[in-house]
Amino acid sequence: MNRADALDKTLRQMYAVISFPEGGEPDWEGMKAVFHPQAQLTRVTPEGIDHFDLQSFQAMATEMLDRGVYTAFFEQEIARREHTFGSLAHVLSAYETKRSPEAASCLARGVNSIQLLWEGASWRVLSLLWDEAMPGNPFDLKQLFAAEVSCG
Amino acid sequence: MARVHKFRISSTRSNDLVCRSMAAAEAKGTMMRRAGHYCGRFLELDGRMLRNFGTCSYLGLDQHPELRQAAIAAVEEYGTQFSISRAYLECALYQGLENNLEKMTGQPTLVAPSTTLAHMAALPVLVRDNDAVVIDQFAHASLHAATELLRDVPVHLVRHSRLDQIDELLQKLSICYERIWLVVDGLYSMFGDFAPFEGLGALLDRWPQLHLYVDDAHATGWLGTHGRGGALMQLGQHNLHQHKRVVVALSLNKSFAAAGGALALPDAELKVRIRRCGGPMLFSGPIQPPMLGAAVASSKLHLRAEHSATQAQLMQRIDYALAAAAQAGLPLATHHRTPVFFIPCDSVDEATNEVQWLINEGFYVCPSAFPAVPVNRPGVRFTITLHNELEDIDALIEAARARGHTCGACPNVEATKWGLIPSKA
Ligand SMILES: Cc1ncc(COP(=O)(O)O)c(C=O)c1O
Repeated sequence: MNRADALDKTLRQMYAVISFPEGGEPDWEGMKAVFHPQAQLTRVTPEGIDHFDLQSFQAMATEMLDRGVYTAFFEQEIARREHTFGSLAHVLSAYETKRSPEAASCLARGVNSIQLLWEGASWRVLSLLWDEAMPGNPFDLKQLFAAEVSCG
Repeated sequence: MARVHKFRISSTRSNDLVCRSMAAAEAKGTMMRRAGHYCGRFLELDGRMLRNFGTCSYLGLDQHPELRQAAIAAVEEYGTQFSISRAYLECALYQGLENNLEKMTGQPTLVAPSTTLAHMAALPVLVRDNDAVVIDQFAHASLHAATELLRDVPVHLVRHSRLDQIDELLQKLSICYERIWLVVDGLYSMFGDFAPFEGLGALLDRWPQLHLYVDDAHATGWLGTHGRGGALMQLGQHNLHQHKRVVVALSLNKSFAAAGGALALPDAELKVRIRRCGGPMLFSGPIQPPMLGAAVASSKLHLRAEHSATQAQLMQRIDYALAAAAQAGLPLATHHRTPVFFIPCDSVDEATNEVQWLINEGFYVCPSAFPAVPVNRPGVRFTITLHNELEDIDALIEAARARGHTCGACPNVEATKWGLIPSKA
């Protein structure tokens, strides 16, 4: 598989492993395959910024699941822009979260900023930083991706 | 860079988030509203009379002449407040109320100033040093708050109504703990589903260490013999009196249409112990005389033979609404035969728009979003009560259908097969 296809594969896997149906949970083993052991996950919310490694992210997500903050989670990529150089890749990836894959409208939208590292045979995520669209932080795909929009 | 290694959602952080979602709903005009005139079937909002599909007064007793008269008579006799801790001296009306509630429930019953305070009084007394607690993630906020008061006792959360997970935990906990208290709601107030009583009864039979604490606030009054609720009705088949392992909290605030809460306890000793040392039983104020008067009057209605006919009337209306929703193709979160209905929506915006549309069409219904429901399960909640005429129900379902509610049915909360769930609504 060439690097471009491998990048696409890792990004698709990333969205797949964090999504889960009613009563389920993220695919934790799958996450370990997609994310580098040194990976950082950074969440920006109006209430504050959280920095996680894989272990603390799992602890946070498990607490949210235990408390019933989420009972299912579907995140889909709606647009992407990639830059690669040597063993590094940076991807700006716009997403929607939905109640179910079939839902007509979404629960939330936002942008993932993803850094990946080429490890010889595949890409792994080294950093995932995300922020969600809010009334004070409007979501404008056209502006975000300027002339380079690739939607799918 | 600082890293969080052990995550725990702080209360400030959690309050910030809740405040943000409430503020958004307030800005859209669907939360923190103020009603004008109210007469049961109708309520006034922004100068318009709306058909009321928001109240938990399921039997419509809040407008009953006997309750009104009893409240007035109690005010005339005792005034508006009896401001002495019940630990010192109680208003004379308490005795009649507790006697009647004991006839209703068939168990020693203790009145508390509210259901929340009943939990706060009971759980720290019931749960002992060598016990563990397991609580359903969707149990009412007042139960979660009460379990926070338990010192040095492990509290485990389980996914909603997952008997398999409970059973698995019981296997582990029963090795180390004398007793395991399972804390659940009898009827979940948002999605309108009952606790899986049949399965819980089987667990009680199987695990001698298992004790159940059920908040049956939403099933008090309209369900069960004399309105004792679904928990005592269903679990009554599992040697309730013999094994003495079930405590049920009732509400006098909802279908009962008065004020306060109550605890139906397996024995009189426990009643005395909670009365003597359950914090709010000593340190909180009593139910005010007018509402005690209304509660006594309501308890008398519940003990009359005609009460079951009133309950049957509500059940007919529930069935009518379930059938009308099915015919209109309106998706519902659950189809249990309860007065609580929930239309799932794809997003909070969709739920808000739907509520605004229904309010414009003349119906008061409630939007539901986090933290009342999970982030991924927003929707529109409405209740069916004896205030609603059949034509009101027809009109509401037709309005929701006309709006072209587009979302598919939410993954159903697993329906058990016991009598209160129709084969297919
Ligand atoms: C299931 C449940 N338990 C407890 C309460 C709190 O009741 P109270 O106002 O009597 O404290 C509510 C309130 O709505 C409830 O729905």
